Amino acid sequence: MQPVITLNNIQVTQGENFKLSVETLALQPRRIYALTGPNGAGKSTLLRVMALLVTPQTGSIAFAGSERHDLARQRQRVTLVEQSPYLFNGSVTDNLSYVLKLRGIDSRERSMRIGATLAIVGLKGFEHRQAKQLSGGEIQRVALARALVLKPELLLLDEPTANIDSNSLQAYETLLGGLPGYGVTVVFSTHDPSQSRRLGEEVLRLENGHLINGFYVDSKHTALNQRSDGNGA
Amino acid sequence: MGYLGDSLLTAFELILGFDRDVRMAVWTSLYTSSCSIVIAALIGVPTGLWLGLKRFRGRQLLIALLNTLMAMPTVVVGLLLFGLLSRQGPFGPLGLLFTPLAMIAGQSVLATPIVANLVLAAVTGADRRIINTALTLGASRLQAAIKLLSEVRFGVMAAVIAGFGRVIAEVGVAMMLGGNIRNSTRTMTTAIALETSKGEFAFGLALGVILLSVALVVNLFLNSLQQR
Repeated sequence: MQPVITLNNIQVTQGENFKLSVETLALQPRRIYALTGPNGAGKSTLLRVMALLVTPQTGSIAFAGSERHDLARQRQRVTLVEQSPYLFNGSVTDNLSYVLKLRGIDSRERSMRIGATLAIVGLKGFEHRQAKQLSGGEIQRVALARALVLKPELLLLDEPTANIDSNSLQAYETLLGGLPGYGVTVVFSTHDPSQSRRLGEEVLRLENGHLINGFYVDSKHTALNQRSDGNGA
Repeated sequence: MGYLGDSLLTAFELILGFDRDVRMAVWTSLYTSSCSIVIAALIGVPTGLWLGLKRFRGRQLLIALLNTLMAMPTVVVGLLLFGLLSRQGPFGPLGLLFTPLAMIAGQSVLATPIVANLVLAAVTGADRRIINTALTLGASRLQAAIKLLSEVRFGVMAAVIAGFGRVIAEVGVAMMLGGNIRNSTRTMTTAIALETSKGEFAFGLALGVILLSVALVVNLFLNSLQQR
């Protein structure tokens, strides 16, 4: 199967500081990848590189079926949800509607997509709630809905459960686990090894900016075998 | 009733009787101030946004310059533009001096640094995640900047209203570039100065009441927006 995204020989530095080096990484469609590593390992940088928000000094990023230089088109295929997502002023619908308007989607289609997406994330009935009055868990789910409503092929989540309470955690994890069923490839970063094994079909580990061996995870959520190819999937 | 009481009564008679001179001064003030604030907003809002978002060499110098311009006495702005627009000046042949257009130009110069500075403050004080969020959702840099402005819209409106407050209340530019010509360039403030010096205190008071009312309405409007 053709990978959703392929990274080759990526090097990111900031000023004099080395941030990230990825020899090769190819993510398969409809899978969930857990990205782990200590603080400062480069997880957020890798997510931002894949989201095309950070331009690496060297290397290439290719999306299946997209011209390499068609940045605008490539950007439409990937969405990043930050660790502490910001919801814009206005209602939940306003937040989702804004991103659809950016893509030039008409109001009828917008309304259909918003209804369907809020149902997926379990926020049906929240359409007219003010975004600034939501709880931490609800904010995360609205941010997820705002990303999903764009129907991205690749969804990147930077520590999505870091700011939500234990009651919302299980519901959120169930939600994430179901996303490949909607045709989405998910990469989420986490500090929690048990979460990476619970949710991730494959675990990618970063240390000091280098992507080291990943682990495939079996259906019983245990590390099954170490990847033999170093960086690539 | 005494001098003040009688003057106040006459002032209200002038207002309620729609005195032509009062009406013309109010119209000229509102017209020139509205035009100049539109021009100041068109220049000041993008300038404040740009200064708030971009990091470049000389940025601090530009901000310091804006701060200086904000505190510039109105007569100095009037004086500089007088030099440019007077018959011997480079724009003399245009014949703009002592016309409402000259006043609009001067008031725009006064209001633009205020609008730019307050928009800059609103942008730099905004949540840093706004731009990144818009970008991660597929907005272009320009679309993200526009979204940021929309998120800080009350700050932007406050900037524009503060600029309007500055120009409608100023005397120096209106006097020097407008010349206080009756039924043409006489504004509320220049009329107050002239009529009071002529001993027409009630007339000045009538315009003072209207000027205060305009300030009150503008502030009530701003408050109602902020409470939405």
